[in-house]
Amino acid sequence: MAGQPRHTGERRKTDLLLAVGVILGSLIVLNLPPGPQRAMRHFMRETVLSPFIGINGAIARTRERALDFDLLRTQMDSLVAPVAAQRTLAEENRQLRNLLGLKDRPSHRVTAVTVIRAGTPGSESTFQLDAGLDGGISPFNAVVTESGLLGQVQEVFSRYSMGYDWSHRDFRVSAMTPDGRAHGLVEAVRGGFREQDRLVLRGTAYLSDLGPGDELVTSGRGGTFPRGIRIGWISGPAEASAGWSRSYYVEPAVHPGAVTHALVHVGGGAGVTVAAEDSVFRPRQVDPP
Amino acid sequence: MRLRLILLCTTLIVTHLVLHVALELGPVAPDLVVVALLLASRSLGSSGGAVLGFVLGLVEDAFATISFGANVFALTVVGALGARTRDFFVGDSIPFLAVFFTLGKWSRDLLAWTASDPAARLPLGDLALVESPLLGLYAAAAGLVFRVLFARRRGNR
Repeated sequence: MAGQPRHTGERRKTDLLLAVGVILGSLIVLNLPPGPQRAMRHFMRETVLSPFIGINGAIARTRERALDFDLLRTQMDSLVAPVAAQRTLAEENRQLRNLLGLKDRPSHRVTAVTVIRAGTPGSESTFQLDAGLDGGISPFNAVVTESGLLGQVQEVFSRYSMGYDWSHRDFRVSAMTPDGRAHGLVEAVRGGFREQDRLVLRGTAYLSDLGPGDELVTSGRGGTFPRGIRIGWISGPAEASAGWSRSYYVEPAVHPGAVTHALVHVGGGAGVTVAAEDSVFRPRQVDPP
Repeated sequence: MRLRLILLCTTLIVTHLVLHVALELGPVAPDLVVVALLLASRSLGSSGGAVLGFVLGLVEDAFATISFGANVFALTVVGALGARTRDFFVGDSIPFLAVFFTLGKWSRDLLAWTASDPAARLPLGDLALVESPLLGLYAAAAGLVFRVLFARRRGNR
């Protein structure tokens, strides 16, 4: 199969020069600052990919609606007892906070969203949410499911927003055990294959003694994630650094690939510890009985 | 570029976007974009292939937050080099296309790996020797099915 050049001379040279120019252009795109890259991604999603993303969202919503009614009723029934118990708990908590002179916690507000993923190369760990500025969403809001923490919002546009899940290399969340005996920072570690990605809890005190199955929740430190969202469970020790700190592998509570519906915590959220305001003790004059 | 080839490439690209974006199948679905690019670039020439690769790369990178531009670079180079094969090989025989598609997909993955963020990429050995050749064969098989389907339609007319 011998080939035949289609063009000769000047035309062939021009063709080659143009091709080299386009390749240089692609290298420029690769090294653009985040702003223009964000604009280009947004343009592509809003034009060429818009119908395909729309189909993806419609399929996700249909899948949600096709959930077994009995399963949903079981889930709702299981929530009734804790909610009823917490009504009195909330009132007790309010009275105690009044006595201690602590400020009221801000109210919980969440926005329900459909999670859309693309199967294109390089889109791993990234998802699109079908609500944006119009839904009150802003960058760094926490994205959660009924099982626990999924990830975080990163870019917000008028009608949709983009975020990444816990398997993203930039994901970090401050964590603690529900009883507060151990604190640390949870981040993702890559496995040999993407299915082997998992979380690791770093920076816990050397004397902390966590065992397999111990639950981890967000601690609220840093002001990004509200306190008390489940992250996962300790699966085993990872490493220890010379009598200083310990690390543990964490089995995540949420498997991102299976998520089609989530809630976004908007407007600060309850229990966010920005500057340890809750720890400021302002004693109030209490009249003796 | 003939109408039949335009239709074939458009079908391949739309099918790729349906499988990867609308149905989020990921690596389970074959990479039909690289097949469409390789077929089109042989008719368009180096500059046309590079421009088509550039545009398809932008579409592929619409969800990429870590290594935006890696697919743009990879597909642009594959488009430009794919066109040059016309200078060495003519004809569209099944064996030639099978090798062409497999090598094209393998090159695309290696180029994207080179341009992507070091913290986010797979080990080179796994990609170059295991994952990418298998995905290349998969893309080639799917591409050949489309190619044969379109060729049959032409013969029936």
